[in-house]
This record gives sequence, C-alpha cells and structure tokens, in this order.
Amino acid sequence: MAHQAHAYHMVDPSPWPLTGAIAALLMTSGLAIWFHFHSTMLMTLGLVLTLLTMYQWWRDIIREGTFQGHHTPPVQKGLRYGMILFITSEVFFFLGFFWAFYHSSLAPTPELGGCWPPTGIIPLDPFEVPLLNTAVLLASGVTVTWAHHSIMEGERKQTIQSLALTILLGFYFTALQAMEYYEAPFTIADGVYGSTFFVATGFHGLHVIIGSTFLAVCLLRQIQYHFTSEHHFGFEAAAWYWHFVDVVWLFLYVSIYWWGS
Amino acid sequence: MKQLWRMRSGSSGSMAARLLLRSASRAAAAVYSRQPLPAQAPVRGLASGGIPSDDEQATGLEKIVLEASKKGTDPYNILKPKEYAGSKQDPHIVPSITNKRIVGCVCEEDNTAVVWFWLHQGEAQRCPSCGAYYRLVPHELPH
Repeated sequence: MAHQAHAYHMVDPSPWPLTGAIAALLMTSGLAIWFHFHSTMLMTLGLVLTLLTMYQWWRDIIREGTFQGHHTPPVQKGLRYGMILFITSEVFFFLGFFWAFYHSSLAPTPELGGCWPPTGIIPLDPFEVPLLNTAVLLASGVTVTWAHHSIMEGERKQTIQSLALTILLGFYFTALQAMEYYEAPFTIADGVYGSTFFVATGFHGLHVIIGSTFLAVCLLRQIQYHFTSEHHFGFEAAAWYWHFVDVVWLFLYVSIYWWGS
Repeated sequence: MKQLWRMRSGSSGSMAARLLLRSASRAAAAVYSRQPLPAQAPVRGLASGGIPSDDEQATGLEKIVLEASKKGTDPYNILKPKEYAGSKQDPHIVPSITNKRIVGCVCEEDNTAVVWFWLHQGEAQRCPSCGAYYRLVPHELPH
C-alpha cells in the first residue's frame, strides 16, 4: 500500500483550494456589487460555491482519514496544531471587537452624554434572557464533555444522546438570541453602543451556528461509526471550538451585558 | 554529537503511549481527559458499548503503524532514534530502504556546519570530520 518511508500524508492533487479561492473572490466582489448595484447574484453564486467547496473538501478529508487510514499519529498531531492555531486566530478576531467596546465604553465621549450606557440607550437586563443564555451554553459545555467521555468509554447510545443534546442547546441559544435581537429596544444604528453590541454579539452568534453545524456533522459521523474510542479527532476539534464559543460568550456577557449595563 | 536525521520526541514511556500521548497532549484548551493508552485502558469494542476501537477499525497506514507499535517496532521512524556512542564497537545504526543513505553529522553540539556524506552498505564508515562510526542497516517497510 504505502511506498513512503514516513508516516506523514502527502495529499493527492485536489481542486478544492482553487474552487475555494474563486468562491471567496466571487463572494467579496459580489458583496461590493450588492452594495452599489443592488444585485445579489454574484454574491449568492460565491456563497453556493463556498458551501460546495467546504462540503467536498471536508468530505475528502474524512475519506482520507477514516476510510483510507492516512491519519497516523504524526498527522493527527499536525491537525491538532492546526485547530489550535485556528482557534487562536479567532480569539484575536474577537479581541478586536472587545477592544472597540472598551475603547468607547471606558471613556464615553460628550456626544454620548459622558456616560455608559449612552444617554437614551435602554440596555437589556443582564439577569433575564442573557443569563438564561449563559446557563444554556454552560450546560452545553457539560453535555459535550459527557459526549467525549462516552466516546472514549465506547458508549455509543450515550454519545449520540449527549451530542444531540449539545446541539439542541446550541439551537436553543440561537433561538433565544434571535428573539432578543428582534425585541431589543435599540438597533445597530444606535451609535457606538449599537455598533459594538450587535457586531460583537452578532459574530458570536455566527460562531455558535458554525459550532452547532460542526457538532451536527460529528453526530452524523458518530451515527455512521466513523469514530473509534481512541481516534476521534474530528469530534475533539468540534468540542474545542464549542468551548471557545462558550468562553467568548462568557466574556461578552460579563463585559457588554453586565458591566456595560 | 547529534545527527540531523534524528527527530525530537517528548517523554519516555511505552511506544504506543508516546505516540498517542504526544498527540493527545495538544488539547491545551480542553478541560477534560486525554485519550486512554491503548496498551492499558480496557476499551470495549463494537460488541459491548457500540463504538469500535482502533484495533477493530483502523485501516491503511494508521493500522500498519498501530500494529507495529504493538509489536514494539517503529518502521516509519515516528519516534526519536536510539542514541549510540558512535565508536567502532557501538556505531550509529542508520536504517535505509536502499543500499545507501545520506548522513548529516553534527560533530559537536551546536555546530552549524553539518558534515554530509553518503553512507554505503557494508563496513561501518567514519565521519570525515569527527571520525564517528556509522553503519547502514537494511530496513524493511511494511507494505
């Protein structure tokens, strides 16, 4: 089978990096076209191509790892490094928005009334739905850990149950947050308060949706017996990402919802 | 003296443990536990819990590496190679899948000039700079 003298994975040529680059180009230029010429066609095309690329690229990785056995321990180590570095980059992404929030809120300008929250802004009560959201995400952190231990102990039914519960909690968070967005007394256009609030929590919500999708893919794979009790890095990566999303929410809650109210 | 074809490795322990512990220790962000060591943990397979084990389901190169590590061999040089004295009685053993291999000798620690030479099958050769002995040993790849 292998004529290589090393345990690494020399990947076969693949079209997905190219289609991904083209999709990114179409999405970004499509965004500009939408802004200026009111047509969403290019952007939609870019979005569809992006989704197709992601589906096929990750499907190929699953084929290479689970079905062909290319993910030896050194390869898995590299994948771990990769996921950690990616999550680190996302941490920096959110750090920027927290910086923006604290820049504006620690020294509120006279235009805002010299106070935070600015004059006229009615902030959300941190001890109502936002607190429930915090409990939901913390609980989902527990259930995803339960799922991990179930996998390691070879318990198929419990893994499926706890993983499904984690995903449901993620959906519950998203639904609650969507309702909050709809009912909020302020909008993104309401000065720097609105901007920092909706951009920071909005990107967080997007990451919750991404994390839930990742976990859902893991659930489908688990049902199809992809994971073994020792080797289930796809699940671990999803769980790391989910914990990261949870931690970002905790910072959001404490900074924007609680201190900022 | 070190040789450049040597890899660095982490802690000591059984080979299988090292293989998995090193990769598992990357889980810096994860609060919970590592993967169990296959040699020690009583992992139930498909029959009882419903989740297959690596023994049951590993395939391809991953399976070959797993089987070899259980036998105590390392055909793909995943682990750090054994240290040798480099003397005539205890030459550096250089595995090769052909009858010659390039060796890079870092004669003394922190030397920046690496001494490169071809090592051929047969009698042990000496590094032209520091005189350390190297011997080529045929190495079979599991296919």
